[in-house]
Amino acid sequence: MLGLLSARQAGLDDPLRFRRAESTRRVLGLELNKDRDVERIHGSGVNTLDIEPVEGRYMLSGGSDGVIVLYDLENSSRQPYYTCKAVCSVSRNHPDVHKYSVETVQWYPHDTGMFTSSSFDKTLKVWDTNTLQTADVFNFEETVYSHHMSPVATKHCLVAVGTRGPKVQLCDLKSGSCSHILQVVFAGHRQEILAVSWSPRYEYILATASADSRVKLWDVRKASGCLITLDQHNGKKSQAAESANTAHNGKVNGLCFTSDGLHLLTVGTDDRMRLWNSSNGENTLVNYGKVYNDSRKGLKFTVSCGCSSEFVFVPYGSTIAVYTIHSGEQLTMLKGHYKSVDCCVFQSNFQELYSGSRDCNILAWVPSLCEPVPDEEETTNKSQLNPAFEDAWSSSDEEG
Amino acid sequence: MSRKRHRLVPETFGLKRRRERGPVEEHPLRGESGSARAAVAELVQLFPRGLFEDALPPIALRSQVYSLVPDRTVADRQLVRGVRATKTDGRRFPASRALPRSPIAQTLSRQKELQEQGEIRIIQLGFDLDAHGIIFTEDYRTRVLKACDGRSYAAAVQKFLASVLPACGDLSFQQDQMTQTFGFRDPEITQLVNAGVLTVRDAGSWWLAVPGAGRFIKYFVKGRQAVLGMVRKAKYRELLLSELLGRRAPAAVRLGLAYHVHDLIGAQLVDCVSTTSGTLLRLPET
Repeated sequence: MLGLLSARQAGLDDPLRFRRAESTRRVLGLELNKDRDVERIHGSGVNTLDIEPVEGRYMLSGGSDGVIVLYDLENSSRQPYYTCKAVCSVSRNHPDVHKYSVETVQWYPHDTGMFTSSSFDKTLKVWDTNTLQTADVFNFEETVYSHHMSPVATKHCLVAVGTRGPKVQLCDLKSGSCSHILQVVFAGHRQEILAVSWSPRYEYILATASADSRVKLWDVRKASGCLITLDQHNGKKSQAAESANTAHNGKVNGLCFTSDGLHLLTVGTDDRMRLWNSSNGENTLVNYGKVYNDSRKGLKFTVSCGCSSEFVFVPYGSTIAVYTIHSGEQLTMLKGHYKSVDCCVFQSNFQELYSGSRDCNILAWVPSLCEPVPDEEETTNKSQLNPAFEDAWSSSDEEG
Repeated sequence: MSRKRHRLVPETFGLKRRRERGPVEEHPLRGESGSARAAVAELVQLFPRGLFEDALPPIALRSQVYSLVPDRTVADRQLVRGVRATKTDGRRFPASRALPRSPIAQTLSRQKELQEQGEIRIIQLGFDLDAHGIIFTEDYRTRVLKACDGRSYAAAVQKFLASVLPACGDLSFQQDQMTQTFGFRDPEITQLVNAGVLTVRDAGSWWLAVPGAGRFIKYFVKGRQAVLGMVRKAKYRELLLSELLGRRAPAAVRLGLAYHVHDLIGAQLVDCVSTTSGTLLRLPET
């Protein structure tokens, strides 16, 4: 590391190189830390987590009982031991709380004044963070599995919603009021939509994953149909006929674009994870091995951002498996939860991972640092004597 | 959590990679680090030829290759590309052997060679969408010719082996491919199915198959369940590899314990934990 620092200082190396190398090293050292805790508020499983993209300071969590909690992740105390406190929460006695389990929460991508939450009670609610009131509610005919708002969109305010019906619905926040829902309804999937995700590179590209084993890429401006349906065999008919034109051999549970938007990761109930080229829909055939997945609803996994070889963090039973994205190598399994892990998010400023599971805990995985060397000047003891007992003799050896 | 992650720190930190190989065990699981071809060659040694009276070519499974070649993506690429091109034999160019080649360059070239050379064929085994068998083309050719010797479909089979096998490296064939590109008529295709070289997949498409492989698949499935059962019945559902191999094989295991162990490890049906007493096989909790 000193070599990298001096190379950066002398101008031999790009500063970004040092940053990426250090980020990678920190991610490789992720582990549970006794000094970091997240306050336990949820009384039932944590389904979803989201960290706001502006500062990386506030985290939202949604639970199976409909409770939404807002945490402050920043350590403003001077102590190494720190518990991330809940700033506020939408608890069960809030008048606008969701009736059933909250499946997805997401911060408004441009500031923390607003966030959205969708739930099994067939609604998507838009909340004002400061007053903790719902600003808007969108009602649907079916339970909502997932929703996502584009992180890079400047020309539109669309929220893509995946429900139990086969159609993806887009809600417009700009024109939305309680009764007016702008629905641009896409046909194409045949069963419930388990995950939706906007591309972080192009503001009109949307990926949807469904229980009918298909993943489709859409351009929302094009009304006629999807752009690409991902095919795991890349068009070769030599594989099994049953799996023609499908992304997985089972339900597709989770979707995640890499941070540059060039690749797309999908996980399915056939215990596989696949990496796709998002521009032409080609399966890159990277083999991650068995990625155990028995979740009947969406699985929320995440990728790292800012490391030299990006990593993907996938919930694997009650652990979190860490893989290198482009080589498919499994680095480690992060063990710590007692029950199955449902969601995880990565904080890219400090290379920390937060994961929520069915055991109602949110765990923080922090890069393990070396123990600080104890400072010698601070070990001098001050005299503890009461001044009344201090003797007034001078300590000098001179006579007189 | 595994501390072994730190060996993967990239070269910018100047840390040397700790060598993966420990003391050689009597069952060298990671003996071949890199070459899929060497892995397949080693695995076909484990195949019991005598059990099938030498009528079946030695079949290795893709999951077994994964247990010997730790990087799956690399193994896949090697196998896939090894099917197509014409065979380039290293022995024909002895001078090239004298040149020092880095192991990675060698394996990359080998891998693409394997399937692209036409040196191996990949066969769909039928009991699982992911289970693929790997056979050396030469072995396959000789066995099939021997099996159809003197039968009525011999001519069709020979035509198939001569024209279709070298040209098309896929697992299956379509109707229009067979009739137009290769000029097979419907009666000839029926003869091929009767010979066991093709298996019907659905209307108008066929899998490439090995004649007489049904017995192998039956023994394989039963043997896999039996070996898994041995691990399951052990205390704490885990067994040391050396102990498992030292046990007497139950009657259901006809293909050999080592053969099945490679397959279980590669298919991730057991977790491989390295301990101070050797490798431990443990059933996954999930």
